[in-house]
Amino acid sequence: MPKPDKSINLMSDEHIMEAVKNGNLQQASLLFDRFHKRIFNFLVRMTGDRDVAEDLTQNVFLRLLKYRHSYNPEMKFQSWIYQMARNAFADHYQKQKQLKPANMEVEKLHESLPDLTEALEQEETEKRLIRALAQLPDDYRELLVLTRFQHLKYEEVAGFLNMTVANVKVKVHRAIGQLRENYFELENA
Amino acid sequence: MDKQKWEGRLIDYIDGRADATERAAIENELLHSEAVRNLYNQLTEVIGAMNEARVLEPSGKLKANFEQALQEEIESQARPTKTVFFSPVVYRVAAGFVLLMVGLAIGFKINQNNVEADRLVEIERKIEENRKVMLAMMDNQLSASQRMIGVSVAYEIEKPDDEIVNVLVKTMNEDVNTNVRLAALDALGKFSNEEQVRNELIGSLKTQKDPVVQIALIQLLVKMKEKGVLNQLEKITRDAGTLKAVKDEAHAGILKLS
Repeated sequence: MPKPDKSINLMSDEHIMEAVKNGNLQQASLLFDRFHKRIFNFLVRMTGDRDVAEDLTQNVFLRLLKYRHSYNPEMKFQSWIYQMARNAFADHYQKQKQLKPANMEVEKLHESLPDLTEALEQEETEKRLIRALAQLPDDYRELLVLTRFQHLKYEEVAGFLNMTVANVKVKVHRAIGQLRENYFELENA
Repeated sequence: MDKQKWEGRLIDYIDGRADATERAAIENELLHSEAVRNLYNQLTEVIGAMNEARVLEPSGKLKANFEQALQEEIESQARPTKTVFFSPVVYRVAAGFVLLMVGLAIGFKINQNNVEADRLVEIERKIEENRKVMLAMMDNQLSASQRMIGVSVAYEIEKPDDEIVNVLVKTMNEDVNTNVRLAALDALGKFSNEEQVRNELIGSLKTQKDPVVQIALIQLLVKMKEKGVLNQLEKITRDAGTLKAVKDEAHAGILKLS
């Protein structure tokens, strides 16, 4: 199997995607290496299910190959792939109407957390956070996953959610406010 | 206390987005208001929990499955290309057909001076029809193999008109398929003694992004002994975004042309 040219490792995501678009498909491996973990984590937080998130992540990168000719090099690659991840999640959600945030497999997700040797207190904190997050409406959960878990800037998120930066900020504040209420209600439950 | 308003101010404060005046006002309120202090403590805990949430690792099968799908896609992309390259009969027949029509027209002109004018008109019409078919094939956006046949037919023409040259240039610069772009470049190379074609080839070196076509284009321009591209070749050697193989070809080109 031909290996990607090492000099390409220094290239921007947009240049690599342009090469893929122009028929150099092998370079898609580099984009997979750069983005698959981020997309997987986004989808895990959105679906609450590791297996589903893996399937959807796979689906996102297959879409990348399938729709490579539609990529606009003037668009940030990150925005494009997150948009495809959002579409993959929306399609999945449509197909699985019964999958409501309240039914998310919180326990299953928690069991798969990588570092189980952490202090019990921290485990409990994270478990409660996942539950509180799962109780949020999809749009609030998505904004928090992108800005707080994935650490994207408001400007970046505004770009592919087609919102103003000010609007993103207001909604993130409201989402944190609601998450805070859910989180401390669970503490007292 | 307006809780929503205070939440917004405190989140900005925790995120480090508050200016000095706002920070002083909030810190003063934190000292004097228990409600604001409680809200601050809760927000700090929730935001801290999100910041410290672990990054989850996908299983190894995700990478393996993607690599397999990628190889399948690469193979499926290569398949129609092979069919065209290893079955030249397909486009030879098409090219032969056009040449036959051209030959017939010439033959009639030379040997049958007294042929009826309407028959000549009919033949010319058929030639024009075939020319249109060739141009339409080159413009078929749904099939790379059709475009490849169209380009190959154009290659057989002795002296192309402006329209054919323009379509070939557009194909070389914009076609989504590398092999079709290369075939168009090949055809244009054959007509490189035409000034318009020569200028188009030189211009394309500035805009061409596909490394495979870039390399073929540099080789052709060097073969044409086109010294006017030396500056552009030097630019390529300095461009950080250009692949090493292309830069190497540009270096070799500079050596040969200098």
